[in-house]
Amino acid sequence: MPTGGATDELQALMRGVVRRDRAAFAALYDRTAPQLFGIALRILRQREEAEDVLQEAFVAVWDRAASFDPERGSVMTWLVSVLRHRAIDRRRRRAHLEDRLGSEDDLLALTAGATDQADRGASLAALQKCLGELEPRPRRAVLLAYAYGYTHEELAKRLTTPIGTVKSWVRRSLERLKQCLDG
Amino acid sequence: MNYRDPKLRDLLAGEYAMGLLPPRARARFERLMAGDAELQRLVADWQERLAPIDGTAPPLAPPRRIWRAVEQGTLQRSFPPLPKGSGRLHSLAFWRGFAGAAAAIALALMIYIAAGSGPVPAPTVLAVLADSAGTPAFIATRAERGEQVSVAPVRAQSLEAQKSFELWAIAGGPPKPLGLVSATPGNPLLVSASAVVTAGTVLAVSLEPEGGSPTGLPTGPVLFQGKVLAEAN
Repeated sequence: MPTGGATDELQALMRGVVRRDRAAFAALYDRTAPQLFGIALRILRQREEAEDVLQEAFVAVWDRAASFDPERGSVMTWLVSVLRHRAIDRRRRRAHLEDRLGSEDDLLALTAGATDQADRGASLAALQKCLGELEPRPRRAVLLAYAYGYTHEELAKRLTTPIGTVKSWVRRSLERLKQCLDG
Repeated sequence: MNYRDPKLRDLLAGEYAMGLLPPRARARFERLMAGDAELQRLVADWQERLAPIDGTAPPLAPPRRIWRAVEQGTLQRSFPPLPKGSGRLHSLAFWRGFAGAAAAIALALMIYIAAGSGPVPAPTVLAVLADSAGTPAFIATRAERGEQVSVAPVRAQSLEAQKSFELWAIAGGPPKPLGLVSATPGNPLLVSASAVVTAGTVLAVSLEPEGGSPTGLPTGPVLFQGKVLAEAN
């Protein structure tokens, strides 16, 4: 569950960044870079590329700080959104599909004992419960796509399932997740 | 596709948040989103729903050089060549941003100088100009009731060939050039006290072509800066 303290702290740092406060920017980096680096590494599975993406993302955070809207969501979620698309783009630029697919042995751990984050809009427990209500293979598709940045094509290959089927798995899963989380 | 169908909009927002839209579809969606606050809201809602998965990535401290590269990249952007109008505000806000950390260092130095000075009247530290990591690089001092302020590096600073350090004062308008400042101690730049002695004025050193900025406004990155403190007498 979100804890007020951590959320407030990140919000305050973010307001500082908007005011062009370098100290606030440095503190925001210190507080969030390890988690963001972990997220980039999971998508890219390659340290150097994850480092590049992290660096680009923080430069973009400085440039685009004013577009952060605290009414819309948490600071951490915004930072992740800045980072993730960059990481996914980088991953897609790899020439060979085979180079992009990893073993993802830890996939199941995603829905088990993961650490809850302080600054989260939704709770992991609620999402786990809702993910648990999906069929195993659609659930796997959702997690591979979100956590590891798989494309539809990669999901199809990985799950040895036609791409059309994979697409509709994800769509139906999103609908069901929304109903379960919002309902 | 009919982008007004609420169900489709929400679905696309979800796929966008997942990172599943292929590049062209994503670019189209982002253009659409730019002018559509409700679509932005749908995306943000999806991001919040999925965000708990982010926390399952094991965190890992990135190497320190990443932060240094981020600093480098953003410092240069923070100081555009100041064309006219809007750019100025952005840059001024940035200049002021730094001053807090430098003020603390200046205070510490003031105490240090006062304690070590004995009967000789100690110059007052007006400002400490620090780099982006907060390391003091230049110091501006003024003799008691002196007419001039002396600005010099606290230790030799590295400066590439065919470049100069130029000192600027910013107090609510465009930066005012104060002159070139040496990269080595022992040859301070003397400036008129009236040009800088106002608490809150920011002193900054930018990297310029040899001989100084050709435009009268900073053209290179701001490497060091600090706020002028209320004079302690």
